[in-house]
Amino acid sequence: MARKVLGNDPFGGDNPKPAAPAAKKAAPAKKAAPAPAKKAAPAKKAAPDTAKKPASVEKGAAPAKKPEGVWPAPEAAPVAEAAPVAEAAPVAEAAPVAEAAPPSIASVIAQLDALLDQAKDPAESRPLLDRLASRLRSLVQPEPEPERALAVDAPAAPAVHDEPFDAARELLGSDYYLRRWGQTAIRDRSEEVDDFGLDPDYARRWQPVWDLLYDRWWRVEIEGIENVPATGRVALVANHSGAIPFDGIMLATALRKEHPNARTLRWLAEDFVFHFPFAGAYLNRLGAVRACQENAERLLRKDACLALFPEGVKGIAKPYRERYQLQRFGRGGHIKLAIRTGTPIVPVTIVGAEETHPMLFQSGRLSKMLGLPFVPITPTFPLLGPLGLAGLPARWKIVFGAPIAMDAYRPEQSEDHVLVNRLNEKLRESIQSTLDQLLRARHSVFKG
Amino acid sequence: MTDKKDHDPHAVTKVTPPGRVVALTGADGFLGRNLIGLLEDDDRVSRIVALDVERPATAGRKTRFYKVDLTQPRVDARLAEIFASEQVDTLLHMAFLSSPTHASAWAHELESVGTLHVLNACRERPVRKFVLWSHTILYGASPRNPNFLPETHPLRGHSESRFLRDKIEAEQVVASFARTSPGTLVTVLRLAPILGPTVKNYLTRYLGRTMVPTVMGFDPLMQFLHEVDALAAFKLAVMRDVPGVFNIVGDGVLPLSTVIQLTGRIGLPIPHPVMYPIARALWTAQLSEAPPTFVDYARWLCVADGDKALNELKFHPAFTTREAVLDYTHSQRMRDARLLRTTP
Repeated sequence: MARKVLGNDPFGGDNPKPAAPAAKKAAPAKKAAPAPAKKAAPAKKAAPDTAKKPASVEKGAAPAKKPEGVWPAPEAAPVAEAAPVAEAAPVAEAAPVAEAAPPSIASVIAQLDALLDQAKDPAESRPLLDRLASRLRSLVQPEPEPERALAVDAPAAPAVHDEPFDAARELLGSDYYLRRWGQTAIRDRSEEVDDFGLDPDYARRWQPVWDLLYDRWWRVEIEGIENVPATGRVALVANHSGAIPFDGIMLATALRKEHPNARTLRWLAEDFVFHFPFAGAYLNRLGAVRACQENAERLLRKDACLALFPEGVKGIAKPYRERYQLQRFGRGGHIKLAIRTGTPIVPVTIVGAEETHPMLFQSGRLSKMLGLPFVPITPTFPLLGPLGLAGLPARWKIVFGAPIAMDAYRPEQSEDHVLVNRLNEKLRESIQSTLDQLLRARHSVFKG
Repeated sequence: MTDKKDHDPHAVTKVTPPGRVVALTGADGFLGRNLIGLLEDDDRVSRIVALDVERPATAGRKTRFYKVDLTQPRVDARLAEIFASEQVDTLLHMAFLSSPTHASAWAHELESVGTLHVLNACRERPVRKFVLWSHTILYGASPRNPNFLPETHPLRGHSESRFLRDKIEAEQVVASFARTSPGTLVTVLRLAPILGPTVKNYLTRYLGRTMVPTVMGFDPLMQFLHEVDALAAFKLAVMRDVPGVFNIVGDGVLPLSTVIQLTGRIGLPIPHPVMYPIARALWTAQLSEAPPTFVDYARWLCVADGDKALNELKFHPAFTTREAVLDYTHSQRMRDARLLRTTP
């Protein structure tokens, strides 16, 4: 809602437009803002006068009210030299007079009113007008015509029509379109993100894409989702696979769609994605977090459901012939973390992702050039462009194993390297054996 | 010295237990000025010693001003003299620049060498407590930073940036002073970038642009501190004896793009390979508010963890990052419409 209030109202923030292009055009000084106000005051003052003295108006003794009718009249001798100009634009030209002498203008107008009040008769008003003319000449340097000065009292409204393109120019000149552009750039974003940058609106917007891939393209099959506790902290440790890893996002989709509590999954992404434009910012909004102990610990202490891929880049950078061969499980950081925070570990086995993006070979030169750890060449990826990111329609299966409780260990034991190593190997072997089992049971890569 | 006679009777009648004597270097800076105003109202402080080249406008009855230029060579002796004669209890060292400057040699003398002078004065005539104003940007923005940097994280601010390097050097000498001078409590407050209705620094100028340049494809999470919270943190550090280093930050984070949206500005994404040369050219031409090393902060994370300040210093920020941005925006829009004077 702050979006409405702040900054995006195209006209709300503008200065009050001094609504008088005539004044703008003619104004010699930069007094555009005060001028209309001062002009408005005498106009208002003049109005009751007119109402009070309708008779005098009809007599033709009100030069201010009917300029065109009165000025060319023969009795207006001192006006003669000014008459043509006055006829051409009596109102528009009046502005400079009003503005050129701002300090004494109020007193002049007061005098003017008094004079007009006295002027019941055209003949009688003559000397008065002469006096006024000389008075104004002395006030205003660039030789103004007194009669035109009188026209100040006339409402300046018709002059607005002099500038038909003013509105359009104003629109184009304002930063309205730029603001629209600014809004469009982040139209699908939440106003607030969580501590690690998950943007709920943005993530929701991308859900249909992941749902499509999940349901139609990879037809993901789920087993043992009940092993993920409904609440509380939990670490899902999974095998990392496929040259372009979608396993984090698919795991998040699986938990959102299939878990009774629709748990939000945060997953740890390799450092290198945050070096690059778009990838880091994009994944961060969807829920990925840079993989490091501090982040993982903070998330688990907030009772998050966290997915970890201990193989890291080694898991996704391995060639196709080494598919489903688990790599080293890091240095056991995830085990230490689980012991320290008392988090149960759910081993997760993902089958199918290797065939989605089978890495044919790596381009060493390109990866060195781009600074990436590896640039995968898969059957679809550079060839089909962005569409190739979806890979081949291999059928996926995700199996959630029985949770391994870590409550039995004291937090200090996270520094017991022997214990950590043993637990790590045990976890790795259990995932590897589930993998082998699933692969044996699988009849076809694409039909499952 | 002459007005000491005028002041002391007042102080004694007003504050029955003798209050603290708080000295501030950089007293005419934003923080110093406002802290003097706050401490003037606080009965627990009996006297404020303002040290700067200009007298702060907020200096009141309790404040005594000494014209001290930290870039002068013999300033440490003069400071020690002042500390002794005024019996300074707590020293707030805030003589730092809030925005990068082109006069980097002078800035180095003031910040890095000036801190050495101040510490030498503290060695000569020890104060009970020393509080340093520092910054979370000294951690440096990096894609390898954890999302919330703890106080133990090394200060890896860009080594090319004189602005950051001088401040890191100041922190290092203060850290070694803390190790070698056990008689003095040393509190270091690392403040997140300050935003607020009246503060002016490189950040408020950056966000005050019509088009705010950003780095294409990068949208780091930002963290700000409201100016009121910044002052509150220093006041807490004066009132409580909690030695150590603390990150003083607002709650919550916002992506840079959202910050720009909240301020009603327009982001201008520029690809990062050309961003650095552009930033360098603009800085050389004195058209930008920060040197090219600050582009890193528009690319990567530099967000600090405020839990330690919450637990030990009991610092509860009153404004979240978002509220700080909104509060800044309100007055910035007033300034845009020329309804507010630019200098508070």
